[in-house]
Amino acid sequence: MPSDPRVTKALAALAQPIAEFRAAVQGALAQADDFLAAQNADAATQAARAAAELGAFAATHVDAAKFAAMFPAVAKADKPSTAVLKKAATILRNVAAQGDAACLASVTEGHKLGATIDAALAAVGQAFGAIIITELVRGGRYKAAEHDRLLDPTEFRAWNNAERRFAPPLVVEVDGVDLHAGALLDFADGREKIVLVVRGAAPPAALVRCVTPGTFVLQTVDGTGLDRLAGYEGPAIAAFLPEGAATFMHDPTAGKEPWQRLTVPFLPAGPFKAVGGFSAWQMEQDVKMLADLARTPFAVPATPGAKGAPALGAGEAVDRIAAWLLDTSGLKA
Amino acid sequence: MSYTCGLLPVLDTHEDHQYEMSEYEGARARWCPGCGDHSVLTAVQRLLAAEQLIPEQTMFVSGIGCSSRFPHYMKTYGFHGLHGRALPVATGIKLHRPELTVFVTMGDGDCTSIGAGHWLHAMRYNVDMTAMLLDNGIYGLTKNQTSPTTPQGFKSNTQPYGSYLPSLNPIEVALGITNASFVAQTAEWAPSHLYATLRAAYKHKGFSFVRVLQRCPVYTPSIFQKAVQDPDRIQMLVHDDGVVTPDLEKIYKAQLHHDPRDLAAARALAEQTDRIILGVFFKDPSKPRYEEMRRVAPRTPAERVSLLEKEFSRYAV
Amino acid sequence: MSASATAAPAPPKVLRVPEHTVEIVSDSGEGAQKCGQIFGAVSAKMGNGVWTVELIPAEIQPPARVPEGASGNRIRIGERAVTNWGDRTNLVIAFNEQVLLARHRVDALADDCVILIEDKWVRHDDPDIVAQWDAAMKELSSKPYRIIPVAMEDQCLTITDTPRKGKNMFALGMLARIYGRDMERIKEQIAHTFRKKSEEVYKTNVALLELGFHWAEDNVPLRVEIPTHASDKPLVVMNGNEAIGMGAMASGMELCAMYPITPATSVTHYLSEVFEKFGGTIHQAEDEIAAVGAAIGASFAGKVAFTITSGPGMALKTEFLGLAVMTETPLVLVDVQRGGPSTGLPTKVEQSDLLAAMFGQTGDAPHIVMAPATIEECFHIMITARRLAETFRTLVMVMTDANLATGVTPYPKPALDEKWQAAPLDLAPVKDGQKPYDWDPQTGLSERIIPGRPGGMFTLTGLAHDDRSKVAYSADIHQRSSAMRSRKIAVLQSLLQPPKVYGEDSGDLLVVGWGSTKGAIEEAVDRARKEGLKVSALHLRFLSPLEPGLKAIFKKFKKVLAVEINYSDEPDDPYVTEENRRRGQMSILLRNATLVDVDCWGRVPGEPLRPMSILEAIRGRLPRGGAA
Repeated sequence: MPSDPRVTKALAALAQPIAEFRAAVQGALAQADDFLAAQNADAATQAARAAAELGAFAATHVDAAKFAAMFPAVAKADKPSTAVLKKAATILRNVAAQGDAACLASVTEGHKLGATIDAALAAVGQAFGAIIITELVRGGRYKAAEHDRLLDPTEFRAWNNAERRFAPPLVVEVDGVDLHAGALLDFADGREKIVLVVRGAAPPAALVRCVTPGTFVLQTVDGTGLDRLAGYEGPAIAAFLPEGAATFMHDPTAGKEPWQRLTVPFLPAGPFKAVGGFSAWQMEQDVKMLADLARTPFAVPATPGAKGAPALGAGEAVDRIAAWLLDTSGLKA
Repeated sequence: MSYTCGLLPVLDTHEDHQYEMSEYEGARARWCPGCGDHSVLTAVQRLLAAEQLIPEQTMFVSGIGCSSRFPHYMKTYGFHGLHGRALPVATGIKLHRPELTVFVTMGDGDCTSIGAGHWLHAMRYNVDMTAMLLDNGIYGLTKNQTSPTTPQGFKSNTQPYGSYLPSLNPIEVALGITNASFVAQTAEWAPSHLYATLRAAYKHKGFSFVRVLQRCPVYTPSIFQKAVQDPDRIQMLVHDDGVVTPDLEKIYKAQLHHDPRDLAAARALAEQTDRIILGVFFKDPSKPRYEEMRRVAPRTPAERVSLLEKEFSRYAV
Repeated sequence: MSASATAAPAPPKVLRVPEHTVEIVSDSGEGAQKCGQIFGAVSAKMGNGVWTVELIPAEIQPPARVPEGASGNRIRIGERAVTNWGDRTNLVIAFNEQVLLARHRVDALADDCVILIEDKWVRHDDPDIVAQWDAAMKELSSKPYRIIPVAMEDQCLTITDTPRKGKNMFALGMLARIYGRDMERIKEQIAHTFRKKSEEVYKTNVALLELGFHWAEDNVPLRVEIPTHASDKPLVVMNGNEAIGMGAMASGMELCAMYPITPATSVTHYLSEVFEKFGGTIHQAEDEIAAVGAAIGASFAGKVAFTITSGPGMALKTEFLGLAVMTETPLVLVDVQRGGPSTGLPTKVEQSDLLAAMFGQTGDAPHIVMAPATIEECFHIMITARRLAETFRTLVMVMTDANLATGVTPYPKPALDEKWQAAPLDLAPVKDGQKPYDWDPQTGLSERIIPGRPGGMFTLTGLAHDDRSKVAYSADIHQRSSAMRSRKIAVLQSLLQPPKVYGEDSGDLLVVGWGSTKGAIEEAVDRARKEGLKVSALHLRFLSPLEPGLKAIFKKFKKVLAVEINYSDEPDDPYVTEENRRRGQMSILLRNATLVDVDCWGRVPGEPLRPMSILEAIRGRLPRGGAA
């Protein structure tokens, strides 16, 4: 059991995608085991299996041996196919045995955030390969030369589009000093969901650098907003931060403009102290950027009922996003 | 399940495979020459190619009628079921397999008459699918019987002295249904508008209802004749959030900027009868979707057995 | 008060019996059902056989004090397992004389029935009510019932201000004393029943319970002793609809699409509470047609789905059921039968949907029809039904009825097995050249292809089609595909075992039944055999295909009699002849399949058949002179 209650919360928020991932792994494992078991099953074993599947009602009414003979469980497979299927089943069994831990990673000393996520995804990505191998063997379509690579662990950046759409969710424990948001951008693709549980002092608004129009981004100190994460169709990155950090939610479905998509319940005022390699200046910049993005670009009505001047909005916003993009990419406008 | 289904295209045959339009073509269409269904079929195949939909993960569901042969002419999975009952089947498919992309084709008899009850409820469920009403104002397959959308006074085999009642306005009905989330109208004779509308409908998350105005070349060839000949009788709804077809601006000069989020304006537009209106009347992606609300976490056999043990303990003697 | 009250009360009469039947009847909403349920549950826990049925008025809130409003529970308790609701009632607690009259008028009460009746009505201010009471007592005096007036509400008033609500616990207390029930277990059960209420509610109910117990101690001179036998196996107790719901979950089905209809709906009341936890969805559709349509759509796209209905709902689903058969889409339909035709008797048992289930679809629509005979089988049948639907790619109908649906009885807790559950979706790429209907020419069987399988794209159609699911325009294709669909039924029969005869496998009369009547028929046969009659019974679970070997079994008996809860003409009814006689539904199937002259006896009383009435039918139908 995870010791940090925030990890438990994060796993709970991702329960649905984790359950889907687990069901796919367990389903493929059951299919693989059945297929392998049926390869050398004798008539009595087959009959016992048929009887079990038909249930107690059928026990005195259906002739299980005849039933099994009429419906042989599976087709025969050749040796290379059963061999690769055994390998796939082993991978699936390992992932299944890990339970929630398969979707849990921790950045340990001497490792980087990006590399840790990459390694974790590569390990579970192997399960995807194993699922596909299972279906290929069962469908009689397996070809060693083409498909064996599917069982090799592959870094996320090498995954193709289809694989990325189905990347499993991940909860990552990381120290505040290692919170390099730039590393996360690589994973903001497909339907990937990552929740960071940040330990110790951390930069207050680091995740603002992950805000792109299609990515759900959340900073929270108490778990507020996590429930929205799992339901989002695209990539999502969230961080559990210590008290005092900025809290915000960037929900791409909330509108076209950044100020429509961003809600910022809390913005720390500073001054900030350096954390690890993050300078106070950098932190100030992050917080300022968050404030800028969230600011409605036209005057808020002074009196209730008075209308603002929305006509000016769009252009200014575009300018500001352009400036910010140039800034983040290291160029200056 | 969705994982496994989605993963399969990782097979080499699919990876980086670019689907051509022709790869979505099923049997040769056997509709009459000049039938609007051909236009819809072409637009849909174009849409699938543009969106690179994976054929085995795409489903066309239909009822009975000329338009309901549609699935046979696609090379995807299809369900050609019962008259008026396409929508319940499609709802069942999406509840069980939300990862499949579902299109529904219905005729006017299918959707607005025998299946009208299902139509109302499917719009309210707001399950993510694209539902097309191919409306030619007549029962064609069974040879010229009046349908609810037949223009009043139009003579048919069942109402030879002219249709008795004012025709039903499906857009007005659709906009009146609680939780409707996408209502649009397009026409078979404006292919680029047809395509753009279907694309907007496909992109919309929720139940997208698109009425396609059509003529039956055999029984109702003249119902939209005036509008076809005189583009000024057609008003185009344009909006960034709806449909924009710049290539048609010169032909259809009556353009109206209509925000599809404005339901009251949409209803007022639907009621007016002096012009035929094409475009997105209403769109609200924030409406709750039934299949999302009802989504359940899958269970493994072992989990089910242990839950069942607990359940039995509640009934233990 | 009489002088004898001061004397020590005579010791109560002790009755040692192998079984006893108890009823608690009241106006709707007075809690009689709760009282009966707790009494039944505790009796089962103590090691008695129990069969409980609800007595349900047709209206939700019928007026008070009318015979039509009689509501309550009937509990048959036995030394051994009880398989049916039995004959007549031995002891009744009635909350007013009108609901009691209702039971009297349908001949529900044994001649020597002990009646404990609330007597406040005789002291009522309204002279009409007093007059009604007097008239009722006069009517009841036609039988030698033993009536004991009880001032239930007056007693309850000593503890609660709302005696009408608490009376049921007082009644339970009386029963506890009379039948020697374990008070601690009753209190546990009360705590469970009122677990969502406050501690105060529990305490009041227990106080009322004890009041009733002590009142009966002093005032009811009767004790009934039914030996108990603790079961060596763990037991569970539930009604047939709950068993169906649990069976569906145990089978791994994940979607139930339904529309509310009595008496089927309670399956989904139960499932709605728990199904999502099991990864399942109950879809309450807009109507019966949409319900079966959604189930078929889901089944086509993945795991077998099911729908639950009763007669009128099944009629509405007819067209879709034909589609399921035509397109070889697996589907499980549960028909909880009620009285018909039309709206009929919504809450009452009948077995008259059989032919509609078999032949109600237009065209030739061969499919599987099965019927559970007990509440235990309601659970297990769902597992078999799902498996057969999947394997044979067809519609499986499960025919249960209101008797099983609302009857409550203990049965051995099933030993759960993961293999009961549907396999994960088969999404493997299809084999080269695999067709959507690759019929084996001998068996008609084929593997189904679900959406998502690469290379398998096809359009399913309800039009006549060939093996590629292409619309067929030639006569020979329809002939062939019809043969393929039909063949599957013969293939299933070849896998079935001949049914076992209950009793001797030859004799003068074989009583054949199906569905919920098993317990009552076998009890009647037991009694007939004790009378020296050479009678046996045979109970069928498969109606389509019929179980094999029936003709050989029938040939060993001089006469075969089908007993069913559906209408059939009696041979001596006016105008009825051998040729025009309208026969019981299963008997028609049996005659057709075996060419044996199967006789029939059916009744539609709106209640389960009583063993005694079946016994009378047996006596009446036995060939004169018997085996002698």
